[in-house]
Amino acid sequence: MQLSTLLLGGGGKSLTSLFSLVYLFVFLPGCIIVYTALPKKCKKYFLLLASYAFFWLISSSLIIYLILTTFSAHYFGIWLDRIGTQMRSHLAELPKEERKAAKAVCVSKQRRVLALAVILHIGLLLVLKYSPFFTTNINTLLSKLGVSVQLEVPAAIMPIGISFFTLQAVSYVIDVCRGVVKAEDDLFKLALFISFFPAIIEGPICRYGQTADQLWDCDKIQYKNLTFGIQRILWGMLKKVVVADRLNNFVTTIFDTDKDYSYGGAIIAIAAVLYTVQLYMDFSGSMDAVIGTAEIFGITMPENFRMPFFSRTISEFWQRWHISLGAWFKDYIFYPVTTSKKMKKLTSSARKKLGSHYGPLIAGAVALFCVWFCNGLWHGSAWSFIFFGMYHFVLILTGNILEPLVQAVNKKLHINSGWFVYRLLQIIRTGVLVIIGELFFRARGLKAGMMLFGRIFTDQRFEEVNEKVFDKLRLDTYDLIIVGITLLIVFTVSILNERGVCIRESLAKRHIALRWAVLYGLILFIIVFGAYGGTYAPVDPMYAQF
Amino acid sequence: MERLIEILEDIQPGVDYENSQDLIDGHKLSSLSIISLIAELEEEYDITIPAVEIIPDNFNSAQRIMKMIERLQEEY
Repeated sequence: MQLSTLLLGGGGKSLTSLFSLVYLFVFLPGCIIVYTALPKKCKKYFLLLASYAFFWLISSSLIIYLILTTFSAHYFGIWLDRIGTQMRSHLAELPKEERKAAKAVCVSKQRRVLALAVILHIGLLLVLKYSPFFTTNINTLLSKLGVSVQLEVPAAIMPIGISFFTLQAVSYVIDVCRGVVKAEDDLFKLALFISFFPAIIEGPICRYGQTADQLWDCDKIQYKNLTFGIQRILWGMLKKVVVADRLNNFVTTIFDTDKDYSYGGAIIAIAAVLYTVQLYMDFSGSMDAVIGTAEIFGITMPENFRMPFFSRTISEFWQRWHISLGAWFKDYIFYPVTTSKKMKKLTSSARKKLGSHYGPLIAGAVALFCVWFCNGLWHGSAWSFIFFGMYHFVLILTGNILEPLVQAVNKKLHINSGWFVYRLLQIIRTGVLVIIGELFFRARGLKAGMMLFGRIFTDQRFEEVNEKVFDKLRLDTYDLIIVGITLLIVFTVSILNERGVCIRESLAKRHIALRWAVLYGLILFIIVFGAYGGTYAPVDPMYAQF
Repeated sequence: MERLIEILEDIQPGVDYENSQDLIDGHKLSSLSIISLIAELEEEYDITIPAVEIIPDNFNSAQRIMKMIERLQEEY
């Protein structure tokens, strides 16, 4: 009974968790068997069919939005590519001095088409994801203004993964416009890139140039890829089932079920730390399952995490956490804003007056604001998410403003920023700031977040931090020991990976008996120490809702 | 090339621009420096650097930046 609960992790009734029984023991093995049995030319079409079947199983009729997005991206890609091709042949015929003006005309036309494509795709996302939020806020505003008219709040219709596949489709269209990739004539190839089943729920947000060709050049499954992929999925399962699910009762009680917020600041602070650990283990574990599944089929997906809790600044943290989302915002919002004509003019003039550091900071701050407003909103349609984005915007901007001052102080006090203790203090500071952000992110609304955060300073109640309260919150000493040991294992492996040691490669060179012993050991560890059955409730894939 | 090195040193001094091959990958040029650099290069060389050109491959060394400038000048 209890083991079956483990296998049904993530609800088990649907495929929304890549750790569910139906995914791990039915859908994925079924795909592997059929994929292997089919001739090479049919494999890619099978992957597409499997991806659409997967999406239909998790979203039923909402699959129409995926189909519409794919058709639209395909059409706009070809349109933009044609304008680009016509422009190049036209420019080649012109004398050099006339090219600049002629190019400007073509680029302007291309930009108008691109703007239409972006408005349509992002507009659909806004309507589906944010219309209840916008309508509720308009109604609040109207009632505050004394207007008796109230708009009807539409029901939220949001296909799972829409935030991920929309960003992928938009990045494809922009890349075609920029000439980074050629427009794809084959609708099926583009459809597979947008819908590839492991990545459609929680990402990573891939670029067309990264995965499209790999997905389309399907080859037979190699033994090494199969074993490496399974190992990676199991690794993710260890993070999710042993750590994230084990912390779920504690976190859920503090943030959700304890409606009156009866606990003191000390317990709330611990819950914020544990939630941050849980989120990392859940999301990075899910990414392991995505990357592992893709690896089985011989596809290399981009990594989405790189030891984020070793970051010395918030800016660095976001280069290591949800890397594909950060890179998307950097490439498609930050740099386009800072390199727009007006911003470049502003940077040039500001640099002459304010110097090399503060001069570009004005344009940088505007772009950073756009990035973090979008980042906050992307995570959810609530004020707490917008606050989450603004919180990071302020932290990163403050870091940039204070940088010259910090450097000057360090110089004066002869502090070497490379010192271990200095670096450690920076890492701790970044960790604390991240945890505060996650507290607001997880709280039931901005008001609740403010209240919980305030209580950490005003009403600590340290006496609550005892075994009895932890038992009541269903996180006993046994749970804490298991979480501690697993985190130590994850931490050690992460450090080795960071130093370029690939444990799976080293293991592959060992005797077969040892290899299987390690694999069985990992499975056994998950079965014995996984949090399932009894009072444990698995965490739903957290990023799927975004 | 000399003028380019001067611009780089003016924007962010203290880096060996003659020999460095990892200005972006080695985090020697910050994103703020890149914003300044783009504005300065456009003014100096009468080119337009679109966002798509801001990739490590184009900015990892002075030689690569020069190559990008020459290519963008050629495009018109």
